[in-house]
Amino acid sequence: MKLTRSILLFSFLIISVVSCKKDEVVSAAPGTLTLHFDNIVGDANLQLNTTNTPYTNAKGEDFKVTWLTYYISNIKVKSADGKVFSDPVKSDGSKGYYLIDESDAESQDVILKDLPAGDYTEVTFTVGGDASQVDQGAQVGALDPAKGLFWSWNSGYIFFAIEGVSPVSTEANNTFQFHVGGYKEVSGSATAANNIKTITLSFDGSKAVVNSAHEPEVHLLLDVKKFFNGDGVANVSFATNAARHSPASCKDVAGNIPAAFTFDHIHAN
Amino acid sequence: MRTGYTFMRAFFLLFVIVGVLCIACAEEAVDSNGSPYTFRKPANFPEAAYTFENNPVTQKGFELGRALFYDPILSADSTIACANCHQQAAAFADPVHTLSRGVMDRSGTRNAPAIQNMAFQRLFFWDGGVKHLDFVPINAITSDVEMAEKIAHVVEKLQRNPSYVTKFNEAYQEPPSSQKMLYALSQFMNLMVSANSRYDHYVRKEGESLTTAELNGLQLFTSKCSSCHATDLFTDGSFRNNGLDATFEKDNGRERITELAEDKGKFKVPSLRNVELTDPYMHDGRFKTLEQVLDHYATGVVNSETLDLILKRDEGFGIPLTIEEKANIILFLKTLTDREFILDKRFSFPANSFTK
Repeated sequence: MKLTRSILLFSFLIISVVSCKKDEVVSAAPGTLTLHFDNIVGDANLQLNTTNTPYTNAKGEDFKVTWLTYYISNIKVKSADGKVFSDPVKSDGSKGYYLIDESDAESQDVILKDLPAGDYTEVTFTVGGDASQVDQGAQVGALDPAKGLFWSWNSGYIFFAIEGVSPVSTEANNTFQFHVGGYKEVSGSATAANNIKTITLSFDGSKAVVNSAHEPEVHLLLDVKKFFNGDGVANVSFATNAARHSPASCKDVAGNIPAAFTFDHIHAN
Repeated sequence: MRTGYTFMRAFFLLFVIVGVLCIACAEEAVDSNGSPYTFRKPANFPEAAYTFENNPVTQKGFELGRALFYDPILSADSTIACANCHQQAAAFADPVHTLSRGVMDRSGTRNAPAIQNMAFQRLFFWDGGVKHLDFVPINAITSDVEMAEKIAHVVEKLQRNPSYVTKFNEAYQEPPSSQKMLYALSQFMNLMVSANSRYDHYVRKEGESLTTAELNGLQLFTSKCSSCHATDLFTDGSFRNNGLDATFEKDNGRERITELAEDKGKFKVPSLRNVELTDPYMHDGRFKTLEQVLDHYATGVVNSETLDLILKRDEGFGIPLTIEEKANIILFLKTLTDREFILDKRFSFPANSFTK
């Protein structure tokens, strides 16, 4: 009797320990979520350096794209129960800054690691980065000046760069360049621009289920056409002012950035 | 007797040991305090601005920065080093060219300024567009009219160069990278402190005296010039329009950075340390001599919308100065020449670095 009771108790203990452990393995262990940035032009997938000018902006001007790159930082994902996971950011650039480059497929996957298990329904991110890190001197990682996006003459980073060719451009070789950057807000100045854009995209009722069994991939789209077209207010024409290299000159197209990013779909994986 | 001898011997030994320890300690103290590779703020200077906590100066890092400063490997065609336009004999300004010259003899748009007391500055270049010393070399390296090179390519070249791989490893225990290259250059520039002119020895009461004319010049300088050329850095770090031109199509100065109309035609107030050696003067190097500079302030100031208020008077523009006053001010300015700085072996061409 005594022995049976001991065995029972012992078994019970073992079962609780095992089940507890099993429970942890299934749901509580941190997982991985990938944000995939897909660059498109309207209905078409973006192709760099095409021989012709296959794309058309809202003004009916043909163009092609030779370079597209942008910074994503300060990523936060929100779960269905309202919990927010913030991707760690280190001001020296070693963590939390991602340079998405159309010519580098690997760069288009931002892998968030050690995410608490959960059902994620929303992502928030910044296109570009705040200024504070510039005051700390030379940086590494995505912010390494060797990446070519450091603005040397006016310390800071280009947040979003797109270059290409349009037959109507009056610049040398019919090129266009839009280098969006700038984080200065000067009260009373209409020209000093803060072009940092923070964007929140809901997963449209879908869930990115993160746990040890699933590493979902959330597909986000950047539509180059929307970057140029905006909401009709900041429609870009390549025929005038197609070389923009200062914060103020990019203020209108920077305003187009939030609407140019959209949520597309999730691979549960 | 024997006991006494042993005691004496033991005592003597103890004395010697303590003595040796003391000397060792003292030597160590001198070594860490007196190391020529430690950054020190001169007593008469304001606090340094540089982020030393991210990048403290070490001998290896400094020597790496020195090698890079003198090496044309930083430029696209290996013809231009930092030292081309920043020469020690001229307090690291360019004594030859009005506007800086780059690769393939391309001409820049502004005069190369002196490199000195960089650790104390917050904004760099004539328009203050650069906000941290680490980023200063990037301007010169990537400018089409200076070194016309790409940072990524410079790093590649350094990674292919066994001598630099060794130097980076010794200084940072890692292969060449842009951050460590910029850190090393900052270390080199951070130690370029000029604070041992005759004026400094005078003001710190280190046994130097100034002549009557120099003292008169100092007094005039204090009353007529020091509102802009303030503190013992001889600049308040501000940007001002000092009345060189009426319009600024050629170079709008600080406005290019701030995009504020009120900053049109404003340029950084330069330090006057070693000013005797840093000619030509002004952002475009238009004046050859200090006499011309003072003549400008006395009679040449041109009005414009953003002209500095200090240069506006009821009876006209500029700073009234007699011939004698100008002469005495110039005599005083020459007491700011720091021979120790321009002869300091730490900053000279590192011949040993370049012997194969």
